Amino acid sequence: MLDRRKFLLGLAAGTAGLLVSKGKLPAFPLPKSDKTGGDEKTRSAEKHSMSVVKGADPALATRKAIELIGGMGSFVSRGDVVLVKPNIGWDRVIEQAADTNPAVVAALVAMALEAGAKKVFVADNPCNDPRRTYKRSGIMDAAKAAGAEVRYIEDRDYVKMNLGGEVLKDWLVYRDAVDADKIINVPIAKHHGLGGITLSMKNLMGITGGARNLMHQRLPESIVDLTAFFKPELTVLDAVRILKANGPQGGSTNDVAKLDTVAASADPVRIEAFGVTLFGKKSGDFPMISIGEKRGLGTSDFMGAGFVEVDIG
Amino acid sequence: MKNLRRTSQILIFILFVYLFIQTEYKGRNELGLPVRLFLDFDPLVALSALLASHAARSIFLLSLITVALTIFLGRFFCGWVCPLGTIHTALGALRMRGLKPNHPEGRYPKLRPLKYYILVFIIVAALFGWNAAGYLDPISLAIRSLAIGYNPAINKIARSVLDAGVALHVPVLSPAMDALYTKMTGTVLAFEQPVFRQTLFIGLIFTAILALNALAPRFWCRYLCPLGALLGLIGRKQCAARVENDKDKCISCGKCVVSCQGDATPFPPGEWAGAECLVCYNCREVCPADAISIRATTRKTGDGNVDLGRRRLLASGVAALLIAPALGTVVQRKRTSPLLIRPPGALPEQEFLSRCVKCGECMKVCLTNGLHPTLAEAGFEGLWTPILVPRLGYCEYNCNLCSQVCPTGAIRPVSVAEKQKIHIGLAFVDKNRCLPYAFGRNCIVCEEHCPTPEKAITFVEERAIGENGESIMLKKPVVNPDLCIGCGICETKCPVVDRPAIYVTAVNESRSEENQLFLSI
Repeated sequence: MLDRRKFLLGLAAGTAGLLVSKGKLPAFPLPKSDKTGGDEKTRSAEKHSMSVVKGADPALATRKAIELIGGMGSFVSRGDVVLVKPNIGWDRVIEQAADTNPAVVAALVAMALEAGAKKVFVADNPCNDPRRTYKRSGIMDAAKAAGAEVRYIEDRDYVKMNLGGEVLKDWLVYRDAVDADKIINVPIAKHHGLGGITLSMKNLMGITGGARNLMHQRLPESIVDLTAFFKPELTVLDAVRILKANGPQGGSTNDVAKLDTVAASADPVRIEAFGVTLFGKKSGDFPMISIGEKRGLGTSDFMGAGFVEVDIG
Repeated sequence: MKNLRRTSQILIFILFVYLFIQTEYKGRNELGLPVRLFLDFDPLVALSALLASHAARSIFLLSLITVALTIFLGRFFCGWVCPLGTIHTALGALRMRGLKPNHPEGRYPKLRPLKYYILVFIIVAALFGWNAAGYLDPISLAIRSLAIGYNPAINKIARSVLDAGVALHVPVLSPAMDALYTKMTGTVLAFEQPVFRQTLFIGLIFTAILALNALAPRFWCRYLCPLGALLGLIGRKQCAARVENDKDKCISCGKCVVSCQGDATPFPPGEWAGAECLVCYNCREVCPADAISIRATTRKTGDGNVDLGRRRLLASGVAALLIAPALGTVVQRKRTSPLLIRPPGALPEQEFLSRCVKCGECMKVCLTNGLHPTLAEAGFEGLWTPILVPRLGYCEYNCNLCSQVCPTGAIRPVSVAEKQKIHIGLAFVDKNRCLPYAFGRNCIVCEEHCPTPEKAITFVEERAIGENGESIMLKKPVVNPDLCIGCGICETKCPVVDRPAIYVTAVNESRSEENQLFLSI
């Protein structure tokens, strides 16, 4: 768990990282326009469709983000089996920002259970050894403490299914993910050598098996196919810390920026479109976003109707 | 006494199996358990490494406890402790049942000296820098054979049975088997199905050694085991608990002879051989005349200890003397193999070879199942030493387990931070097979997985024409030899499934002065 000392250290490291990055990136390059308006809107009972919350406590920020888009009850029904799918891909620790923040994961697990889910489980098919990534990311302990079942995915857990995608046809996918009533996708925002930036769509590679490395050859189309197939109910972007270089596994805290931000929406494309702006990029530069939009998976206009941004301090 | 001995054997064997199973990553960087305990108490491992490497390690002192106890008790280690001995006791008991008293079947007195010749060979070879102990040292043999030979099969069988149960889709049974599967993997069974090179070869050798019990009970312990020979020489007087056959009471029934686990001839009186006694005390148990007693004595009451024969002893020494230097003529000494990627912390090659006892602990513990026994890569004297085979498994950036389990310091203890700086090899891109270079398609999986904080694999970007005639940005991987530590994850993950488009060879390894490719300034 994140204790105060680690938190402060992480904060210091993140700040230091920002300083040494010689101002390549603005600390929080969000358009300012809607800010106050959004803040006011939150006080009204109006339901939003995309929320961005800044807050020092990742768990509180996560709760606020979900609350703003209607609360967990609008995504999880009583009796649901829910997969919370973080990025647990790398043998790294929280401060290195290669895996989803465990506090964000734990908050979502707790909220899904509060909303009446029968079972919440957490799983990923990581790049490094799962025993190490589950443990060192802090996600296993945090998710278990929040009441989730944490599962390792084994070879026998994959079934071949027709994904009906543009480039992905028959592929091995994680059976429990297919069987789950709801999938909550919880990526962390990171730099990626091939894709430029990795967010929610790419995170879904973690519930596929087989020769998934081949997807790199047509990465944007492949991850859009995965998003269309798995249809995550809710996407929550962890930008508490983002990895700005040497991603997706990083390693140096110099490449990490602490943004203390969590974004949530039912629309994965919208999350992607917002996510790239954290790196000072435009959504138009990312084929995954334009292809996803074309396929009808969501909108790239993340600032559009229903957008709300709040700073809870 | 017999029950006490059996209890000791069973409990220690359980400990051995427990430590064997625990020789795996269990969620913490430090193993926290002395998984190599049996090797630490093995004087043959210590002696051979000491003689071959001329380097004393404080851990070797533990084996002196075994030596001291042996002086007083004889080969108690063989009869009460040795896990391989326990397996032979169980298998030998099956053979023992068929033996008739006073019948030569099941005894090969002429073979008695063999293990001493083997021991002499090992010691002389060690003096010349060749550590051959591990091939026949019972602890190294047992761990290696179980880890490489038997464990993969045991795991496969257990998993297949459980999977078959699940596949039946029978109510109650199938869910129970499914739950059992989840419970057992990572606890009793390995977390992932282990796969090793030479499983069949190493497994068959071990099976053959076990099968020798068909010739004689504990054939291995009686005639072949070099550790048994060493302990026999040290403990032949058994001054604290010596078996004595009272010739006035003995009725010459011969029952003691067939019950003897060693080949110690408790009968006829006076021919008893202390160095062959495995301290099982079966003789005393079966004697109908109560003629056999166990006494603390220094009195010499006739000694049937093997006459080793000066000539043969000399011959085995000379054999080692000639073979050890001759091993230097193998081609691997002239030109090191590119495949000889040693684990991080491995000493320079000659020092490494002088210490490694081929116990297989490092291969058993390797997180990614990337360490495998060599066949020819390290020459004859390096048979079954560990190499990383990156196509099968990589060296995990944050892991140093192999350096924690090595009993002789062939892989010296290195911290994770230190390990992350050690180059064990260097990655090369095969541009004829790499997708962006050879086929103009993007991939860059190697760069994605490269674990160094400043990536050792980067890419150059190039405008190109895509599959459908569109303009694409092609990313071509490039390796930085100063940053690349040779961990091999790029090779493991390279999507070119058969011969990888990026591969690691041993060149540029930190431990070697010669195996370098750049002018050092």
